[in-house]
Amino acid sequence: MTPLHGYLFVSALLFAVGLAGALTRRNAILVLVGVELMLNAANLNFLAFWRYGPNPEALTGVMFVLFAIAVAAAEAAVGLALVIAIYRHYRSSNVDEAATMKG
Amino acid sequence: MTNGDYYQLLKLLAPEWTVVGTVLAILFADLQFWRNRSVAWRSAGAASILSLGFAAAAGLLIWKRAVTADLLGGTLVLSPTSQYVKLALLGLAIVTAWLCTEGEFTKHVGEFVALIALATAGMMFLVSTENLLMVFVALELVSLSLYVMTAFNKRSPRSAEAALKYFLFGGMAAAFTLFGFSFLYGLTGSIHLPTIAAKISWHAGDPLTLVAIVLVVAGFGFKIAAVPFHLWAPDAYEGAPAPAAAFIASGSKVASFFVLGKLLSVGLPGVGGSGAWKAFSPGWLAVVAILATASMIFGNLAALAQSSLRRLLAYSAIAHAGYALLAIIGGSQPALLYYAITYAVTSVGIFGVVAVVENRTGNEDIAGLAGLRERSFLLSVALSVFVLSLAGVPPLAGFFGKFYAFAAAAKLGSSLGYWWLVALALGASCVSLFYYLQVLKQVWVAPVPEGQGKVAGGWVVSILLALLALAVLVTGAAPELLIRFLK
Amino acid sequence: MPALTDLLFYGFAGLALLFGFLCVANPLSRNPVTSAMFLVLTICSLAGLFVLLNAFFLAAVQVLVYAGAVMVLFLFVIMLLDLKEEERRKLNKVALGAGTVAVAVIAGILIRAVTSAKPAADKLVEGTTKPLGRILFTEYLLPFEILSLLLLVAMVGVILLSKKELK
Repeated sequence: MTPLHGYLFVSALLFAVGLAGALTRRNAILVLVGVELMLNAANLNFLAFWRYGPNPEALTGVMFVLFAIAVAAAEAAVGLALVIAIYRHYRSSNVDEAATMKG
Repeated sequence: MTNGDYYQLLKLLAPEWTVVGTVLAILFADLQFWRNRSVAWRSAGAASILSLGFAAAAGLLIWKRAVTADLLGGTLVLSPTSQYVKLALLGLAIVTAWLCTEGEFTKHVGEFVALIALATAGMMFLVSTENLLMVFVALELVSLSLYVMTAFNKRSPRSAEAALKYFLFGGMAAAFTLFGFSFLYGLTGSIHLPTIAAKISWHAGDPLTLVAIVLVVAGFGFKIAAVPFHLWAPDAYEGAPAPAAAFIASGSKVASFFVLGKLLSVGLPGVGGSGAWKAFSPGWLAVVAILATASMIFGNLAALAQSSLRRLLAYSAIAHAGYALLAIIGGSQPALLYYAITYAVTSVGIFGVVAVVENRTGNEDIAGLAGLRERSFLLSVALSVFVLSLAGVPPLAGFFGKFYAFAAAAKLGSSLGYWWLVALALGASCVSLFYYLQVLKQVWVAPVPEGQGKVAGGWVVSILLALLALAVLVTGAAPELLIRFLK
Repeated sequence: MPALTDLLFYGFAGLALLFGFLCVANPLSRNPVTSAMFLVLTICSLAGLFVLLNAFFLAAVQVLVYAGAVMVLFLFVIMLLDLKEEERRKLNKVALGAGTVAVAVIAGILIRAVTSAKPAADKLVEGTTKPLGRILFTEYLLPFEILSLLLLVAMVGVILLSKKELK
């Protein structure tokens, strides 16, 4: 196994773990934690491809990760604000308790 | 990059900066001068500033409509088509902003209108780039604005719930998109779409390529609400404030379809595979064909069972995403854009009518439209035009949208390989007539309920709705008027 | 010394996966705070991997922004809402089985696909701060500016959504 494959292997597993968390947890905050893991897996991919890619001088992968971290931070902030908004109405941050709409 | 380049960037993006300036003007005016005014006054004021600013941006776009540019490694790619799409987006945003004057769902209208403008700015950047990083950042700008707009009604638990669902699905979709982009970058060493296109064909048939395609299409499938990534749509349409739902259904759809079409046709042309009958081979054509099939079948069947008008619209939107994917399969940008723009105009119009009716009657069901003919003739006619256009009745715009999309898919490949998809789309359109006519039956046939008075929106909204209905009629009667700009 | 970097890689990768797993499915505790703390550890292990990949600046950013700012936000909200231990979901065996199979299939496909990736030349370039800063304000100026709009949206949105409505 080359180093690149090692990193890609780790990030694929991390992505799957994050996805499993996002799909199975009830608490909206923990779903968000799963999403963060998925985003981090993608970041690891970018860096691995950058380091072992054809032209690392362009720093493309690094820049993408820098932007992805900033976007993820903004997204987490909005998500947590939504959790607070939900909590005001339902006194709970569980996804399946906030389920009044059906059809 | 020299100072001249910075100046050029500033000049080429003048419409976008005008939009951003409008955001700041709205926030400033609302915060500084209008604190003690009524909500109705402030929403009208904010919508007026937005209209003025966007009219200026539209003027700049029309003035420089013949521009072509490709700057900074595909970060900024302008073409006449992208300029016209931006014009459409500005128009949709103006209508959405005026919808805020119908019904008081928040005290913070200034911020809401500013968010509409910020989302518009994101969409404008989204349609003028061929760079994966820009696509990701602009897409997130649009998404975050829409999540916040969806949650804006703080008195309504449903608004918060809709926003949370929209956000959680959206966050997962963003992670899928990012993961897919990372594979595209890994395979080609570039995030510039034409460079990716040149290199990705070496990897056709590679499992990694296929995974990248599936992940990216899944991420965008969420934005356009294609089955099986549609789960957020009915709740978001039902719970969100009417203008937010209108913008999710219109502007966001136009921008997402445009960028998905561009990503697949400009970035991944060599790895389409095939979705033709008995000649399936892995690639994005096959993936998109599956999404389109699932969306058309599920969207139409689920719409049949709805009693809430907004949920009906959501499932109809899912079905329409399926039809529009046919234009992407057909690889015809004019067909896709004609479809997306006319569809967006129609749905923003419907949500306008919904907003007025809900605001005056408080009833969100299809039955709430009973006897609308007696209560507001203008709204009845406008709603009928929009609904018939969604159903695809000639000579309205929806008919030609479907015609171009289906024709593009039918023409693709040799010996009509996609006939099965087109046949399915035609069948699904026939099924959809049933539930669209249910809506019209309420308007024109059902008895007027006792004790229900007239229904009328504000004069600006009424004029805008009439204009939208007229636009649907005109672009349907003479599709060349619109489609020649999109070629 | 290639042996040392290999060892470090296996160490950080193993830790990242272990902590990641504990953060979504901790057999000992269902407390959201525990999950958040394990996310911090996952992120720090990932920062270690970033260092091994020569992305020193990003490793620092990862620790500062993620483990520092974002995780403080998570913990702050968890404690603000005073979330108790998440009740155990009534285990729907079919759904759980289907979910496990789906995730296993996705992981399998990803790993199979990943092992097909062709290794490329190993050129040593360091992701140091100076060249990063230079291209951030030239080639990547436009996305950088858009990011400022994104932060404006997040700021306006978060203040509005989390503020108590004054009656």
